[in-house]
Amino acid sequence: MTRTKTLSKQLLLLILVVGVSSCSQEKKDKEDASTQPQPFPSTYRPILSDSFVIEHATVLTGTGKQLEDASVFVEKGKIKLVGQNFYVAPEIKRYDANGKWVTPGLIDVHSHLGVYASPSIESTQDGNEMTNPVTAEVWAEHSVWTQDPGMPLALAGGVTTFQVLPGSGNLIGGRGVTLKNVFARSVQGMKFPGAPHSLKMACGENPKRVYGKKNRAPSTRMGNVAGYRAAWIKAEKYRNDWDKYYESLGSEKEKDKPKRDLQLDTLVDVLRGNILVHNHCYRAEEMLVMIDIANEFGYKIAAFHHAVEAYKVADVLAKENICAAVWADWWGFKHEAFDHVKENAAMVDNAKACAIIHSDSAIGIQHLNQETAKAMAAGNKNGLKLEPKDAIAWITSNPAKAIGIEEKTGTLEENKMADIVIWSHNPFSIYAKAEKVFIDGALMYDRDDPGKQPVSDFDLGITDPTGERL
Amino acid sequence: MKKIFSYCCRSCAKMLILTVGLLHSLISNAEDFLIKNAIVHTATKQGVLNETDIYVSDGFIMQVGKNIQLDGKHTLIDAKGKHVTPGLINASTQLGLVEIGAALSTVDHSTKNTMQGASFSVASAINFRSTLIPQNRINGLTRAIVRPSGGTSIFQGQGSVIALLSDQQGLISEHSAQYANYGIAGANISGGSRASAYLVLDKALDEANYLRHNRSEYKIGYDWKFSQSVQDLDALKGVLEKKVPLVISVHRSNDILQMIKLAKKHSVRLILAGASEAWMVADEIAREKIPVIMDPILNLPSFESLSIRLDAAAILNEAGVKLVFTGIDWQSTHNGYLVRQSAGNAAAYGMPAEDALKAMTINTAEVFGIKNYGQIAVGMEADIVVWDGDPLELTSNADVVLIKGINQAMVSRATRLRDRYWDLDNIQMKAFTR
Repeated sequence: MTRTKTLSKQLLLLILVVGVSSCSQEKKDKEDASTQPQPFPSTYRPILSDSFVIEHATVLTGTGKQLEDASVFVEKGKIKLVGQNFYVAPEIKRYDANGKWVTPGLIDVHSHLGVYASPSIESTQDGNEMTNPVTAEVWAEHSVWTQDPGMPLALAGGVTTFQVLPGSGNLIGGRGVTLKNVFARSVQGMKFPGAPHSLKMACGENPKRVYGKKNRAPSTRMGNVAGYRAAWIKAEKYRNDWDKYYESLGSEKEKDKPKRDLQLDTLVDVLRGNILVHNHCYRAEEMLVMIDIANEFGYKIAAFHHAVEAYKVADVLAKENICAAVWADWWGFKHEAFDHVKENAAMVDNAKACAIIHSDSAIGIQHLNQETAKAMAAGNKNGLKLEPKDAIAWITSNPAKAIGIEEKTGTLEENKMADIVIWSHNPFSIYAKAEKVFIDGALMYDRDDPGKQPVSDFDLGITDPTGERL
Repeated sequence: MKKIFSYCCRSCAKMLILTVGLLHSLISNAEDFLIKNAIVHTATKQGVLNETDIYVSDGFIMQVGKNIQLDGKHTLIDAKGKHVTPGLINASTQLGLVEIGAALSTVDHSTKNTMQGASFSVASAINFRSTLIPQNRINGLTRAIVRPSGGTSIFQGQGSVIALLSDQQGLISEHSAQYANYGIAGANISGGSRASAYLVLDKALDEANYLRHNRSEYKIGYDWKFSQSVQDLDALKGVLEKKVPLVISVHRSNDILQMIKLAKKHSVRLILAGASEAWMVADEIAREKIPVIMDPILNLPSFESLSIRLDAAAILNEAGVKLVFTGIDWQSTHNGYLVRQSAGNAAAYGMPAEDALKAMTINTAEVFGIKNYGQIAVGMEADIVVWDGDPLELTSNADVVLIKGINQAMVSRATRLRDRYWDLDNIQMKAFTR
């Protein structure tokens, strides 16, 4: 008994010492660090691979360059050299990409793979916790079914990374998560190492319809705005309570530890800049209102999603450094999606804002290159001079930036993760197919080798006990 | 033969003009066109013709060939390096029946009226002033099959054929097909099992046949004892007389075989729609000469389409099945023109490109009985699209769209919005930008 008591006293002391020492560090540390521990850490480890070089390719770097007859050299899962005429030792494995095109692995900033999995049945509707208009406490990753057969299909479309978001039924729908498109038995095994979480927010028709029907707030757009602001006001108080608690540690008037609140943990991490806001929002007016709310409470919107009217406010998006993640051409399914123009992404890009083509669809994610081809061609038909080297950024480096992983992937540059696609044609041709897809330097999909085409648990033996689904 | 026929048509048209007295309005629209030096995708056995001219007069294609010389007044369309196809058809849309999906006051494609299943006919509801029609038209879609959806009966009702014109002249054929559901959608409406759905369909066709032969016995005021309303059974008459095809949405390969069996029993012209697993029974479908409506880009499994795959169109085509395309699935109405993307994916996954083109032109015209349509050939109606590149490439766009020989303005509500916001200076003055 005594021994235990002593031990626990020692432990307490130790905790206090650690607490004090961390408190005595610069104030910045405390503000930047999350107030709470980070559970569910990534357990993803790249598959070890030998060095290789892709040669004689037309390379779109994702940084605005197109290189002819170029090579990409990969070592220990990282891109080491991209360019023409460099020496690679003869024992290094070579992929001849003569006549083929090479791009960074594609990134979808808006996916529901795993949370609205295929087959779509009653039990796979896991993306919207529509029991409260603010559910910042839910995390999309806890809904992810890692065996969604849509994931290997997206890989065959060249997608190496995707952000899984909660749906748009709520004002604040919860945390999104960024995944590597790899086989794993846990979602942690897919989590992109070091990627920040996102917070899904939604404007407009969806939340007001969902809750209006339940005869509760919000039932109008003004109700939506009151709902966001009320949530941020609560978050501000919670942040202040924790800040005051930390400041009091070690002082004479030590405060009681505030009671943890999962919902507010997430919102405070947004205010502290650790979680990026991804905001479903169609209309020009609503986007500008959301920007004002972000300024009111001091958080940053990384991207407006769907943003059918982004072209009306492209200059503001450029100034505010907010991406517009749009479809090439979806429209008309709702009133707020009525003012569609085919040139939306191109007009955003032309205003020097960050344009992204997203899918929001388990089919669209397989054809991000085709969707981008349409969006690029629409701009060019109206006089712009967009080239593949420009438009590829809409599905590589720009989504990487919006997700907050641009230091790690999204371009073919030295020391980036070797997330690479070899395409049979110009990726914006209808005939283009991803032939080989590498993730962190490991060959994860090979169109020419059925042994290198991943099969989900679901696919196994479901149509033929001795075979796979495809 | 075709040439003679076309001239006949031309004179018929002229007689009609004189008789009806619309001389002024029609002549002012229907110019003569000479399209020069195009790469012509004919959708005929001739395939692709290079450096070819097309002469259009009175709404019909009068000549196709090299170096056509004309004396009379005509508009020249220089198509050097450009591609020409017949105007595209989407085989499954709700054009004119919906403006905004979630705004129910703009939606007419289904009914909750339990008396109206097979008798529900969409033609009277089609809004030719819909903004969807110009948006699709300027992107190369010139005809569409407009079909009902949903409802409370296993029969969804009757669909129409339209030309993408913004007035009533767009109605080409009022009753072009009858629609029904099988598989899980049919089961859900029939009590919860495919077995129930089969019985409902079988019984309805039996009863319709009985009523057809004993119609005079049944008068208003009788106590009808049928499984469907009498107007619904009456509406199946055309199906039983093989005047109208029966389009059944069905996916699982076993379900497809059941529907083939049902169609044979009742001797109806079956068209399979959706048909995700049709490729697994391609030979049976080809043998029975049953057309298949599909969207080749779809490849997500459901529990009734576990074997859905991107090369299904190529497999069916190879087996000799007549394919007609729709797409893109969730936007096949607002963006019905994206049938071109779906067809392009069929081509990317092994279907010959010219066959993919046929599946959105001549095949569709034949399957739905659209006369003189769907090929660049003498005697065909002049629904023609000039593309600035390969028509299956998504980087290509339409430059010129002719419908019935009339040059369409390349303007839609979307292009108006684009032009208004193309530059963002002087926003307040946009109020006066028309």
